[in-house]
Amino acid sequence: MARIPLSLRVNGEAHDLAVEPHRTLLDVLRAELGITGTKENCLEAECGVCTVLLDGMAVNACIVLALQCREREVTTIEGLAAGGALHPVQQAFIDLGAVQCGYCIPGMILAARAYLDGNPTPSEAEIREALAGNLCRCTGYQKIVDAVLSAAGAEVPARR
Amino acid sequence: MREAVELGARFGADGRFLAGGTDLLIQMRRGQLRARHLVSLHRVPGLGAVDIDDAVTLGALVTHRRLEREPGFRGALRALIESAEVVGGHQIRNVATVGGNIVNASPAADVVPVLIALDAEVTCVGPGGERTFPLEAFASAPGVTARRPGELLTRARFARLPPNSATAFLKAGRRRAMEIALVCVAARVTLDAGRERCVDARIVLGAVAPTTLRARAAELSLRGQPLTERARREAGRAAAAECSPISDVRASARYRALLVATLVERALARCAERIGQTA
Repeated sequence: MARIPLSLRVNGEAHDLAVEPHRTLLDVLRAELGITGTKENCLEAECGVCTVLLDGMAVNACIVLALQCREREVTTIEGLAAGGALHPVQQAFIDLGAVQCGYCIPGMILAARAYLDGNPTPSEAEIREALAGNLCRCTGYQKIVDAVLSAAGAEVPARR
Repeated sequence: MREAVELGARFGADGRFLAGGTDLLIQMRRGQLRARHLVSLHRVPGLGAVDIDDAVTLGALVTHRRLEREPGFRGALRALIESAEVVGGHQIRNVATVGGNIVNASPAADVVPVLIALDAEVTCVGPGGERTFPLEAFASAPGVTARRPGELLTRARFARLPPNSATAFLKAGRRRAMEIALVCVAARVTLDAGRERCVDARIVLGAVAPTTLRARAAELSLRGQPLTERARREAGRAAAAECSPISDVRASARYRALLVATLVERALARCAERIGQTA
Protein backbone atom coordinates (compact mmCIF):
# COMPACT_ATOMS: atom_id res chain seq x y z
CA MET A 1 0.00 0.00 0.00
CA ALA A 2 1.25 3.48 -0.83
CA ARG A 3 2.93 5.44 1.91
CA ILE A 4 1.70 8.93 2.61
CA PRO A 5 3.95 11.70 3.93
CA LEU A 6 3.27 12.60 7.56
CA SER A 7 4.90 15.20 9.72
CA LEU A 8 4.28 13.98 13.26
CA ARG A 9 5.04 16.05 16.36
CA VAL A 10 5.89 13.87 19.33
CA ASN A 11 7.03 15.33 22.67
CA GLY A 12 7.82 18.63 21.00
CA GLU A 13 9.92 17.13 18.23
CA ALA A 14 8.85 16.97 14.57
CA HIS A 15 9.39 13.71 12.66
CA ASP A 16 9.03 13.52 8.89
CA LEU A 17 7.65 10.10 8.03
CA ALA A 18 5.89 8.24 5.26
CA VAL A 19 3.26 5.80 6.56
CA GLU A 20 0.58 3.54 5.13
CA PRO A 21 -2.89 4.94 5.85
CA HIS A 22 -4.03 1.96 7.93
CA ARG A 23 -1.23 2.26 10.50
CA THR A 24 -2.15 3.34 14.00
CA LEU A 25 -0.42 5.98 16.07
CA LEU A 26 0.62 3.21 18.47
CA ASP A 27 2.28 1.22 15.72
CA VAL A 28 4.09 4.25 14.29
CA LEU A 29 5.32 5.40 17.70
CA ARG A 30 6.75 1.99 18.53
CA ALA A 31 7.86 0.57 15.16
CA GLU A 32 8.84 3.68 13.18
CA LEU A 33 10.05 5.99 15.93
CA GLY A 34 11.24 3.49 18.55
CA ILE A 35 9.31 5.35 21.25
CA THR A 36 8.37 2.22 23.18
CA GLY A 37 7.21 3.67 26.50
CA THR A 38 3.72 3.48 25.03
CA LYS A 39 2.70 -0.17 25.50
CA GLU A 40 0.59 -2.43 23.34
CA ASN A 41 -1.92 -4.89 24.72
CA CYS A 42 -5.61 -5.37 23.85
CA LEU A 43 -5.72 -3.31 20.62
CA GLU A 44 -9.44 -2.77 21.25
CA ALA A 45 -9.44 0.39 23.40
CA GLU A 46 -10.42 -1.59 26.49
CA CYS A 47 -7.25 -1.63 28.60
CA GLY A 48 -5.71 1.83 28.28
CA VAL A 49 -2.02 0.76 28.27
CA CYS A 50 -1.50 2.62 24.97
CA THR A 51 -2.86 5.90 26.35
CA VAL A 52 -1.07 8.98 24.97
CA LEU A 53 -2.05 12.63 24.98
CA LEU A 54 -3.29 14.13 21.71
CA ASP A 55 -3.38 17.91 22.05
CA GLY A 56 -3.41 17.30 25.80
CA MET A 57 -6.36 14.87 25.74
CA ALA A 58 -5.99 11.21 26.73
CA VAL A 59 -6.68 8.84 23.81
CA ASN A 60 -6.03 5.17 23.09
CA ALA A 61 -3.25 5.17 20.48
CA CYS A 62 -4.38 1.72 19.26
CA ILE A 63 -7.50 3.18 17.65
CA VAL A 64 -6.09 6.46 16.36
CA LEU A 65 -4.70 6.34 12.84
CA ALA A 66 -1.31 8.00 12.52
CA LEU A 67 -2.57 10.17 9.66
CA GLN A 68 -5.24 11.61 11.98
CA CYS A 69 -2.43 13.18 14.03
CA ARG A 70 -1.35 15.65 11.36
CA GLU A 71 -0.87 19.13 12.79
CA ARG A 72 -1.51 17.85 16.32
CA GLU A 73 0.77 17.40 19.32
CA VAL A 74 1.38 13.89 20.66
CA THR A 75 2.75 13.44 24.19
CA THR A 76 4.02 10.05 25.35
CA ILE A 77 5.40 9.03 28.73
CA GLU A 78 8.87 9.95 27.44
CA GLY A 79 7.75 13.55 27.07
CA LEU A 80 6.50 13.99 30.61
CA ALA A 81 9.77 14.52 32.48
CA ALA A 82 10.65 17.97 31.17
CA GLY A 83 14.38 18.62 31.42
CA GLY A 84 14.96 15.33 33.21
CA ALA A 85 12.90 16.18 36.32
CA LEU A 86 10.07 13.73 36.86
CA HIS A 87 6.51 15.03 36.57
CA PRO A 88 4.81 15.18 40.02
CA VAL A 89 2.51 12.30 39.02
CA GLN A 90 5.54 10.15 38.12
CA GLN A 91 7.29 11.04 41.38
CA ALA A 92 4.16 10.24 43.39
CA PHE A 93 3.87 6.78 41.74
CA ILE A 94 7.45 6.03 42.91
CA ASP A 95 7.04 7.54 46.37
CA LEU A 96 3.83 5.67 47.13
CA GLY A 97 4.89 2.34 45.63
CA ALA A 98 2.14 2.40 43.00
CA VAL A 99 4.10 0.37 40.42
CA GLN A 100 4.34 -3.40 40.32
CA CYS A 101 4.98 -5.00 36.92
CA GLY A 102 4.84 -1.55 35.34
CA TYR A 103 3.15 -2.39 32.06
CA CYS A 104 0.02 -0.27 32.66
CA ILE A 105 1.89 2.58 34.30
CA PRO A 106 2.77 4.83 31.31
CA GLY A 107 -0.90 4.89 30.29
CA MET A 108 -2.06 5.24 33.88
CA ILE A 109 0.23 8.23 34.49
CA LEU A 110 -0.77 9.99 31.26
CA ALA A 111 -4.48 9.46 31.96
CA ALA A 112 -3.98 10.83 35.48
CA ARG A 113 -1.99 13.80 34.20
CA ALA A 114 -4.70 14.70 31.61
CA TYR A 115 -7.41 14.44 34.25
CA LEU A 116 -5.54 16.55 36.81
CA ASP A 117 -5.01 19.24 34.16
CA GLY A 118 -8.81 19.67 34.05
CA ASN A 119 -9.53 19.00 37.74
CA PRO A 120 -6.51 19.74 39.96
CA THR A 121 -8.25 18.83 43.24
CA PRO A 122 -10.21 15.61 42.60
CA SER A 123 -11.85 13.37 45.18
CA GLU A 124 -10.87 9.72 45.46
CA ALA A 125 -14.07 8.71 43.65
CA GLU A 126 -13.31 11.13 40.82
CA ILE A 127 -9.81 9.68 40.45
CA ARG A 128 -11.22 6.16 40.24
CA GLU A 129 -13.65 7.28 37.54
CA ALA A 130 -10.90 9.15 35.69
CA LEU A 131 -8.82 5.95 35.54
CA ALA A 132 -11.70 3.62 34.63
CA GLY A 133 -10.28 3.16 31.14
CA ASN A 134 -6.90 1.94 32.45
CA LEU A 135 -6.66 -1.64 33.66
CA CYS A 136 -4.02 -2.89 36.10
CA ARG A 137 -3.75 -6.61 36.87
CA CYS A 138 -1.17 -6.29 39.69
CA THR A 139 -1.86 -3.58 42.19
CA GLY A 140 -5.57 -3.67 42.99
CA TYR A 141 -5.49 0.08 42.19
CA GLN A 142 -5.35 1.35 45.78
CA LYS A 143 -1.79 2.63 45.65
CA ILE A 144 -2.34 4.06 42.18
CA VAL A 145 -5.30 6.07 43.48
CA ASP A 146 -3.23 7.13 46.49
CA ALA A 147 -0.41 8.28 44.21
CA VAL A 148 -2.76 10.45 42.16
CA LEU A 149 -4.29 11.89 45.34
CA SER A 150 -0.80 12.68 46.55
CA ALA A 151 0.23 14.25 43.23
CA ALA A 152 -2.85 16.48 43.55
CA GLY A 153 -1.59 17.63 46.94
CA ALA A 154 -4.35 15.84 48.87
CA GLU A 155 -3.76 14.01 52.09
CA VAL A 156 -3.56 10.26 51.49
CA PRO A 157 -5.67 8.42 54.06
CA ALA A 158 -3.95 5.75 56.14
CA ARG A 159 -4.91 2.28 54.82
CA ARG A 160 -5.01 -0.95 56.76
CA MET B 1 -18.19 18.98 3.33
CA ARG B 2 -18.67 18.84 -0.45
CA GLU B 3 -15.44 16.90 -0.83
CA ALA B 4 -16.51 14.38 1.85
CA VAL B 5 -19.89 13.88 0.16
CA GLU B 6 -18.22 13.42 -3.25
CA LEU B 7 -15.82 10.84 -1.84
CA GLY B 8 -18.70 9.09 -0.06
CA ALA B 9 -20.64 8.88 -3.32
CA ARG B 10 -17.61 7.68 -5.28
CA PHE B 11 -16.72 4.87 -2.84
CA GLY B 12 -20.30 3.86 -1.98
CA ALA B 13 -20.41 0.61 0.00
CA ASP B 14 -16.60 0.24 -0.35
CA GLY B 15 -16.06 3.32 1.80
CA ARG B 16 -16.69 4.38 5.37
CA PHE B 17 -16.63 7.77 7.04
CA LEU B 18 -14.23 7.90 9.97
CA ALA B 19 -15.36 9.94 12.98
CA GLY B 20 -14.09 8.85 16.44
CA GLY B 21 -13.12 5.39 15.18
CA THR B 22 -13.98 3.72 18.50
CA ASP B 23 -16.26 1.22 16.78
CA LEU B 24 -15.12 1.34 13.16
CA LEU B 25 -11.39 0.70 13.68
CA ILE B 26 -12.04 -2.12 16.15
CA GLN B 27 -14.52 -3.81 13.80
CA MET B 28 -12.00 -3.51 10.97
CA ARG B 29 -9.19 -5.00 13.06
CA ARG B 30 -11.43 -7.92 14.03
CA GLY B 31 -12.19 -8.49 10.35
CA GLN B 32 -15.90 -7.93 10.98
CA LEU B 33 -15.97 -5.04 8.56
CA ARG B 34 -13.98 -4.56 5.39
CA ALA B 35 -13.70 -1.05 4.02
CA ARG B 36 -11.46 -0.29 1.08
CA HIS B 37 -11.51 3.43 1.76
CA LEU B 38 -11.83 5.52 4.91
CA VAL B 39 -12.88 9.15 4.57
CA SER B 40 -11.76 11.04 7.67
CA LEU B 41 -14.20 13.75 8.74
CA HIS B 42 -11.87 15.46 11.20
CA ARG B 43 -11.16 18.50 9.14
CA VAL B 44 -14.67 19.01 7.78
CA PRO B 45 -15.65 22.41 9.21
CA GLY B 46 -18.75 22.80 11.38
CA LEU B 47 -19.43 19.15 12.19
CA GLY B 48 -18.12 19.53 15.75
CA ALA B 49 -20.47 22.34 16.81
CA VAL B 50 -23.23 22.45 19.43
CA ASP B 51 -25.78 25.18 18.59
CA ILE B 52 -28.41 26.11 21.14
CA ASP B 53 -31.19 28.54 20.18
CA ASP B 54 -34.90 27.65 19.75
CA ALA B 55 -33.65 24.26 18.69
CA VAL B 56 -30.53 22.38 19.70
CA THR B 57 -28.27 21.13 16.90
CA LEU B 58 -25.51 18.64 17.53
CA GLY B 59 -22.98 18.24 14.71
CA ALA B 60 -22.11 14.63 13.91
CA LEU B 61 -18.58 15.06 15.28
CA VAL B 62 -19.65 16.37 18.69
CA THR B 63 -17.84 14.12 21.16
CA HIS B 64 -19.26 12.57 24.31
CA ARG B 65 -16.76 14.71 26.23
CA ARG B 66 -18.31 17.82 24.69
CA LEU B 67 -21.85 16.72 25.67
CA GLU B 68 -20.75 15.99 29.24
CA ARG B 69 -19.30 19.46 29.62
CA GLU B 70 -21.98 21.54 27.87
CA PRO B 71 -23.32 24.06 30.43
CA GLY B 72 -26.50 24.47 28.33
CA PHE B 73 -27.47 20.87 29.13
CA ARG B 74 -27.30 21.19 32.92
CA GLY B 75 -31.00 22.11 33.21
CA ALA B 76 -33.91 20.31 31.56
CA LEU B 77 -31.60 18.51 29.12
CA ARG B 78 -29.54 16.92 31.87
CA ALA B 79 -30.13 13.39 30.53
CA LEU B 80 -27.77 14.22 27.67
CA ILE B 81 -24.96 14.72 30.18
CA GLU B 82 -26.02 11.67 32.19
CA SER B 83 -25.94 9.42 29.12
CA ALA B 84 -22.67 10.79 27.69
CA GLU B 85 -20.72 10.53 30.94
CA VAL B 86 -21.28 6.78 31.36
CA VAL B 87 -19.92 5.79 27.94
CA GLY B 88 -16.56 3.97 28.11
CA GLY B 89 -13.65 5.64 29.87
CA HIS B 90 -12.26 9.12 29.30
CA GLN B 91 -10.08 7.95 26.41
CA ILE B 92 -13.21 6.78 24.57
CA ARG B 93 -15.38 9.77 25.42
CA ASN B 94 -12.64 12.15 24.27
CA VAL B 95 -13.00 10.89 20.70
CA ALA B 96 -16.29 8.96 20.33
CA THR B 97 -18.95 11.03 18.56
CA VAL B 98 -22.71 11.49 18.62
CA GLY B 99 -22.88 10.82 14.88
CA GLY B 100 -20.96 7.56 15.29
CA ASN B 101 -23.23 6.48 18.14
CA ILE B 102 -26.28 7.07 15.90
CA VAL B 103 -25.09 5.41 12.67
CA ASN B 104 -23.54 2.46 14.53
CA ALA B 105 -27.15 1.66 15.52
CA SER B 106 -26.31 -0.46 18.53
CA PRO B 107 -29.47 -1.32 20.50
CA ALA B 108 -27.39 -0.65 23.63
CA ALA B 109 -26.34 2.90 22.62
CA ASP B 110 -26.53 5.29 25.57
CA VAL B 111 -27.04 8.73 23.99
CA VAL B 112 -29.54 7.56 21.35
CA PRO B 113 -32.43 6.87 23.81
CA VAL B 114 -32.09 10.39 25.18
CA LEU B 115 -32.14 11.91 21.69
CA ILE B 116 -35.24 9.87 20.84
CA ALA B 117 -36.87 11.04 24.08
CA LEU B 118 -36.23 14.59 22.83
CA ASP B 119 -37.94 13.80 19.47
CA ALA B 120 -34.66 14.40 17.66
CA GLU B 121 -34.39 14.36 13.88
CA VAL B 122 -31.23 13.38 12.04
CA THR B 123 -30.05 14.67 8.68
CA CYS B 124 -28.03 12.78 6.09
CA VAL B 125 -26.46 14.37 3.04
CA GLY B 126 -25.63 12.64 -0.22
CA PRO B 127 -25.18 13.61 -3.86
CA GLY B 128 -28.95 14.08 -4.17
CA GLY B 129 -29.10 16.53 -1.28
CA GLU B 130 -30.29 16.28 2.32
CA ARG B 131 -32.71 13.77 3.82
CA THR B 132 -34.11 14.16 7.32
CA PHE B 133 -35.56 11.37 9.48
CA PRO B 134 -37.08 11.13 12.93
CA LEU B 135 -34.32 9.40 14.90
CA GLU B 136 -36.94 7.03 16.28
CA ALA B 137 -37.44 5.58 12.78
CA PHE B 138 -33.80 5.75 11.66
CA ALA B 139 -32.56 2.33 12.84
CA SER B 140 -34.41 -0.79 11.70
CA ALA B 141 -32.14 -3.54 13.08
CA PRO B 142 -28.81 -3.76 14.94
CA GLY B 143 -26.30 -1.86 12.79
CA VAL B 144 -28.88 -1.06 10.08
CA THR B 145 -30.21 2.45 9.46
CA ALA B 146 -31.99 4.39 6.71
CA ARG B 147 -28.66 5.94 5.73
CA ARG B 148 -27.58 4.88 2.22
CA PRO B 149 -24.01 3.76 1.55
CA GLY B 150 -21.94 6.89 0.97
CA GLU B 151 -24.45 9.18 2.63
CA LEU B 152 -23.05 11.30 5.47
CA LEU B 153 -24.98 11.87 8.70
CA THR B 154 -24.28 15.51 9.50
CA ARG B 155 -26.38 16.44 12.54
CA ALA B 156 -29.07 15.67 15.08
CA ARG B 157 -31.55 18.37 15.97
CA PHE B 158 -34.37 18.76 18.50
CA ALA B 159 -36.62 21.54 19.79
CA ARG B 160 -35.93 23.10 23.18
CA LEU B 161 -38.27 21.73 25.87
CA PRO B 162 -41.31 23.71 27.08
CA PRO B 163 -41.39 25.00 30.68
CA ASN B 164 -42.01 22.47 33.47
CA SER B 165 -40.07 19.76 31.63
CA ALA B 166 -37.27 17.49 32.79
CA THR B 167 -35.25 14.56 31.51
CA ALA B 168 -33.40 11.73 33.23
CA PHE B 169 -31.18 8.86 32.07
CA LEU B 170 -30.34 5.71 34.03
CA LYS B 171 -28.14 2.79 33.06
CA ALA B 172 -27.59 -0.58 34.69
CA GLY B 173 -24.39 -2.51 34.05
CA ARG B 174 -22.41 -5.14 35.90
CA ARG B 175 -19.91 -2.49 37.02
CA ARG B 176 -20.06 1.28 37.13
CA ALA B 177 -17.66 2.26 34.36
CA MET B 178 -16.45 0.92 31.00
CA GLU B 179 -19.57 -1.19 30.64
CA ILE B 180 -22.15 -1.85 27.97
CA ALA B 181 -25.69 -1.31 29.27
CA LEU B 182 -27.67 -4.31 30.49
CA VAL B 183 -30.56 -1.89 30.24
CA CYS B 184 -30.69 1.88 29.89
CA VAL B 185 -33.69 4.16 30.18
CA ALA B 186 -34.29 7.75 29.08
CA ALA B 187 -37.34 9.64 30.32
CA ARG B 188 -38.72 13.06 29.43
CA VAL B 189 -41.71 14.56 31.20
CA THR B 190 -43.59 17.84 30.73
CA LEU B 191 -46.09 18.84 33.44
CA ASP B 192 -48.90 21.39 33.16
CA ALA B 193 -48.51 24.99 34.33
CA GLY B 194 -49.55 24.04 37.87
CA ARG B 195 -46.94 21.26 37.82
CA GLU B 196 -49.61 18.76 38.81
CA ARG B 197 -50.39 16.62 35.79
CA CYS B 198 -48.31 15.14 33.03
CA VAL B 199 -49.09 16.65 29.63
CA ASP B 200 -46.39 14.82 27.67
CA ALA B 201 -43.98 12.00 28.34
CA ARG B 202 -41.39 9.93 26.51
CA ILE B 203 -39.96 6.69 27.83
CA VAL B 204 -37.21 5.16 25.72
CA LEU B 205 -35.43 1.87 26.43
CA GLY B 206 -31.98 0.66 25.38
CA ALA B 207 -30.60 -2.91 25.15
CA VAL B 208 -34.00 -4.64 25.40
CA ALA B 209 -35.02 -4.91 21.73
CA PRO B 210 -33.26 -5.08 18.32
CA THR B 211 -33.34 -1.27 18.19
CA THR B 212 -33.75 1.47 20.77
CA LEU B 213 -37.40 1.21 21.80
CA ARG B 214 -40.07 3.77 22.67
CA ALA B 215 -42.36 2.38 25.37
CA ARG B 216 -45.57 3.90 24.00
CA ALA B 217 -48.03 2.17 26.34
CA ALA B 218 -46.01 3.40 29.29
CA GLU B 219 -45.99 6.93 27.86
CA LEU B 220 -49.76 6.85 27.30
CA SER B 221 -50.42 5.60 30.83
CA LEU B 222 -48.97 8.86 32.16
CA ARG B 223 -50.86 11.31 29.97
CA GLY B 224 -53.12 13.57 32.07
CA GLN B 225 -52.02 11.88 35.30
CA PRO B 226 -50.20 13.27 38.31
CA LEU B 227 -46.79 11.58 38.47
CA THR B 228 -47.61 9.76 41.68
CA GLU B 229 -45.60 6.84 42.97
CA ARG B 230 -48.38 4.57 41.76
CA ALA B 231 -48.44 6.11 38.25
CA ARG B 232 -44.67 5.80 38.00
CA ARG B 233 -44.80 2.14 39.03
CA GLU B 234 -47.58 1.44 36.53
CA ALA B 235 -45.53 3.04 33.75
CA GLY B 236 -42.55 0.87 34.74
CA ARG B 237 -44.71 -2.26 34.55
CA ALA B 238 -46.12 -1.22 31.17
CA ALA B 239 -42.62 -0.59 29.79
CA ALA B 240 -41.41 -3.99 31.01
CA ALA B 241 -44.34 -5.62 29.21
CA GLU B 242 -43.52 -3.78 25.95
CA CYS B 243 -39.84 -4.68 25.68
CA SER B 244 -38.41 -7.91 24.24
CA PRO B 245 -34.98 -8.47 25.83
CA ILE B 246 -32.75 -11.45 25.15
CA SER B 247 -30.79 -13.60 27.58
CA ASP B 248 -27.02 -13.51 27.07
CA VAL B 249 -23.80 -13.81 29.05
CA ARG B 250 -24.50 -10.52 30.79
CA ALA B 251 -28.07 -11.00 32.03
CA SER B 252 -31.23 -13.02 31.54
CA ALA B 253 -34.24 -11.65 29.68
CA ARG B 254 -36.28 -11.84 32.88
CA TYR B 255 -33.72 -9.80 34.82
CA ARG B 256 -33.57 -7.20 32.07
CA ALA B 257 -37.36 -6.83 32.15
CA LEU B 258 -37.21 -6.34 35.94
CA LEU B 259 -34.53 -3.71 35.45
CA VAL B 260 -36.73 -1.90 32.92
CA ALA B 261 -39.60 -1.68 35.42
CA THR B 262 -37.35 -0.37 38.16
CA LEU B 263 -35.31 2.06 36.07
CA VAL B 264 -38.40 3.55 34.38
CA GLU B 265 -39.98 4.14 37.79
CA ARG B 266 -36.79 5.76 39.09
CA ALA B 267 -36.22 7.87 36.00
CA LEU B 268 -39.76 9.24 36.27
CA ALA B 269 -39.23 9.97 39.98
CA ARG B 270 -36.10 11.86 39.07
CA CYS B 271 -37.99 13.89 36.44
CA ALA B 272 -40.75 14.74 38.96
CA GLU B 273 -38.12 15.83 41.48
CA ARG B 274 -36.30 17.93 38.90
CA ILE B 275 -39.43 19.78 37.78
CA GLY B 276 -40.52 20.29 41.39
CA GLN B 277 -43.85 18.50 41.03
CA THR B 278 -46.48 19.96 43.38
CA ALA B 279 -48.91 17.04 43.44
